[in-house]
Amino acid sequence: MSDSTARVARRKDMLGLRGVSREEITQILDTAAQIRRVNRRRVKKVPTLRGRTVVSAFFENSTRTRMSFDLAAKRLSADVLGFSAGSSSTKKGETLMDTARNIDAWRPDCLIIRHPSAGAPHMLAKAFDWSVINAGDGIHEHPTQALLDMLTMRDHLGTLEGRTVAIVGDVLHSRVARSNIFGLTTMGAKVVVAGPGTMCPPTLEALGVEVRHRIDEVLEDAHVVMMLRVQRERLGKAVMTEVAEYARLYGLDLDRLQRARPDVLVMHPGPINRGVEMTPDVADGERSVVLEQVSNGLAVRMALLYLLLGEDGGDGDRG
Amino acid sequence: MATAVEQAFRICGARVICPFSGRDEVRDLHVRGGVLCADAGPDACVIDADGLAILPGFVDLSAHLGDPGYLWRETLVTGSRAGAAGGFTTVVASPDTDPVIDRGPLLANLEQRAAAVSGARVRFAGALTERLAGMELAEIGCMVDAGAAAISDGGRAVGDALVLRRALEYAQPFGVPVILRPAEPELEKDGVVHEGPVALRIGLRGLPSASEEMGTGRAVALARLTRARVHLHGISTAQAVRQVRVAQEQGLDVSCGIPARNLILVDEDVARSQYDTSLRLLPPLRTGTDREALLQAVRDGVAMVTAGHVPLSRVEKEHEFERSAPGGAGLESAFAATLTALDGDLALVAEALSTRPASVLGERAALSEGCRADLVLVDPLAETCIGAPQFSMGVNEPLSGRTLRGAVKATMVAGRWAFNTLLP
Repeated sequence: MSDSTARVARRKDMLGLRGVSREEITQILDTAAQIRRVNRRRVKKVPTLRGRTVVSAFFENSTRTRMSFDLAAKRLSADVLGFSAGSSSTKKGETLMDTARNIDAWRPDCLIIRHPSAGAPHMLAKAFDWSVINAGDGIHEHPTQALLDMLTMRDHLGTLEGRTVAIVGDVLHSRVARSNIFGLTTMGAKVVVAGPGTMCPPTLEALGVEVRHRIDEVLEDAHVVMMLRVQRERLGKAVMTEVAEYARLYGLDLDRLQRARPDVLVMHPGPINRGVEMTPDVADGERSVVLEQVSNGLAVRMALLYLLLGEDGGDGDRG
Repeated sequence: MATAVEQAFRICGARVICPFSGRDEVRDLHVRGGVLCADAGPDACVIDADGLAILPGFVDLSAHLGDPGYLWRETLVTGSRAGAAGGFTTVVASPDTDPVIDRGPLLANLEQRAAAVSGARVRFAGALTERLAGMELAEIGCMVDAGAAAISDGGRAVGDALVLRRALEYAQPFGVPVILRPAEPELEKDGVVHEGPVALRIGLRGLPSASEEMGTGRAVALARLTRARVHLHGISTAQAVRQVRVAQEQGLDVSCGIPARNLILVDEDVARSQYDTSLRLLPPLRTGTDREALLQAVRDGVAMVTAGHVPLSRVEKEHEFERSAPGGAGLESAFAATLTALDGDLALVAEALSTRPASVLGERAALSEGCRADLVLVDPLAETCIGAPQFSMGVNEPLSGRTLRGAVKATMVAGRWAFNTLLP
C-alpha cells in the first residue's frame, strides 16, 4: 500500500510508543494518511485482512475506542469479535491469563486489549504468538490515541519537528499524555506540561518534558494545546480541590485562548467535560480539532492493523 | 535423628571462616555429638572438603513459611528444606499466617511440629499485635514463654505510633528482639514499585522511599524512648540505612536486614523484564544509588543480609503486575546473591548472613570448639545459574535466569546433615 512499508521491520505487537523509532512512527502516520482514502469512498471496505481474526478485549469501559477499533478491523475485512469486562468471565474469578488461553484456543491473529493494569498487554504479548495492540493499559500507555493525535497535528503543522505541544491536566495519571510524550519527543517536538502539583509534579521532567504550573505559562508558545480529561471519580484521596477551582486555574476559555498563537490547535482525547477542561465555546470553536482526532483514530487503527497483520510483511502462515 | 547427633565427622581441607573468633584458615573441623570438638575420634566419617569453605550456618530472621493457613505456598517441612539447601541453619518464620501466630498455645504447637523437620531449624516470631491488625497487643509474654525467637508484625507495618510505642514497651523487659517492617502504610497504598523515574515511565504506581524513611525514623525514635531491641527487616533505601547508621553510632540497639536481591537488582530491572511479576516485591527494588548505599552498609557492619523469603504460588503470581501478590522466594538464592554482591568476600558474607543475624537472636554463630555444629560448606568458585526454587514450593524467584557466584554444598544443623551434596 505504501512504499514506506518496506523501510521498517515488521513488529508483532504495538504495546506503546516508548522505544518506537521516528522512522516507524512516520511509517504508521504515512500509512494512515493513505488509508484515509478508503474511509471517504462509497464502499468503505478493502479485502486486506480477509480471513484474519481480530479479538477486542476491553476490561475497562470504553465506547469510542472500542467502536473505532472494531470499525477499523471491519473496514479491512477482518472477522471481529469482542467482549467487555461486564460480559466476560473475569467477574467470575477467571484470571487474565485464563481468559487469554481461551482466546488462544480460537487461534486469533490479533488481540486488542484495554486493561486497568499497566503491563497487562505486555504479559499477553510475551505469552502468546498473536499480535497484541494496547488500547490503553492503566496509567501507562495508549499508543493509538497518541498516533491519532500526532497525525492530526502533522496534518495542520506539516511537521512535528521543532513544534511545541502543551499538555494540560492530570499528566501523572494519564496514559494519553505518556504515549504522546514518548511519541512527540521522538519526533522532535517539545512538550510542556501544566497542571496542579498533584497531577504535574516536577518529577515528570524525567520523561523529557518541561513542567510548568499555570496554563497561562504554556499557552503563549504552544502550537498545540492538549487538554486532558479530568476523571474525578478515579482520582485518589486529596488529589484535587473543587472542580470550580480546577476550571478557573487550569481550564481553557476564550479569554485565555486569545493569548495563544492565532493558529493554535486545541485538542482533547474526549469525552470532554464541558465547563471543566474547557468552556463550550472553545470545545466547539474554530481552533478545536476534536472531531478530526476521532476520524484520524479510525485511520490510524486501520494502518496499524494493516502493518501488523497485512500479508506483504511475510509470515502469512502462522502455523 | 538421635543417631545423627552421636555421629562424628572430620571435615578436611576446607577454608574455615569464623568472623566471631576472627579465624580464617585452612584446617580440619571435627564434629561429635552435635558440637564442634578438637578431635572427632578414629571412627569419624571423613568428608573431603578440599577447595570448599566452611562458614557458620546462616540465620534468617523473617521468612514466610505459610504454615498454618497458606500451605500451597510453603510448609514447615518445605521451608526448612529450602533453608538448608540455601545454607541456613536457623530460619525464623514470620507470623503472617492464618491464623496469625498471635497466641502462646499456637506458637507452642508449632514449636512441637518444627522439632520434627529435617532441614534448617525453624523458630517462630510471634505477632506484635493481634491478627497483625496494628490495634491491640498480641499475647507477647505467653509466646515468649512458648519459645518465640522474636516478636514481629511480619510484612505489616504498624501505622499507629502509640500502638508501636506500647508494643515496644511491653516487649522490652522480655528481652526479645522486635522485628519491624519500617513503612508509613498510608503512603504505600496502591504502590507496587519504587517511586521514581522508572515507575513514571512504565506507568506503575510508586512506593516512595519516604515511606521507609519515615517508618525507620519512627522506629529509631521509639527505640530510643523505650530502650527496646529493634530489628528493621526489609530495608531498601539509602536514607533508611543512613538513619540506622546514626542510631547505632548513638548506641541504640537497632539493627537492620537487607534482602539479598536488593544488593543485585534495581528498579530498572522491572522495566527491562517487561512487568515480570516475580519482581513485584516488598520492599521494592530501588535505584542504583540505593543499592550502593546498601552495599556500603553491609561492608561497614551497619546492616545484615536476609533472604526476604516470601514464597508464592503460580496462581498468586500469574496476574497483571499490580494485581499479583508481592514477594519473592529467596532462601535458596540468598548466599549466591550475597557472595556476588560482595565480590566474593566470604568473611563478609559470613558476617552478613551468620554472625550478625545470630546476634540479634542473642546467639553466637561461631566455629570454635564447644559450639553447636551449625555450619555450611560452600563452593565459592562455582557458578550457579539461578532457576525456580527446587525445595521451596514458591515459584517466584526474582533472580531467576541470572548466573551468580558460589554454591551451597552442604549444611549441618547441630551435627546433623540437613542438606548434603557431598556424601555419596
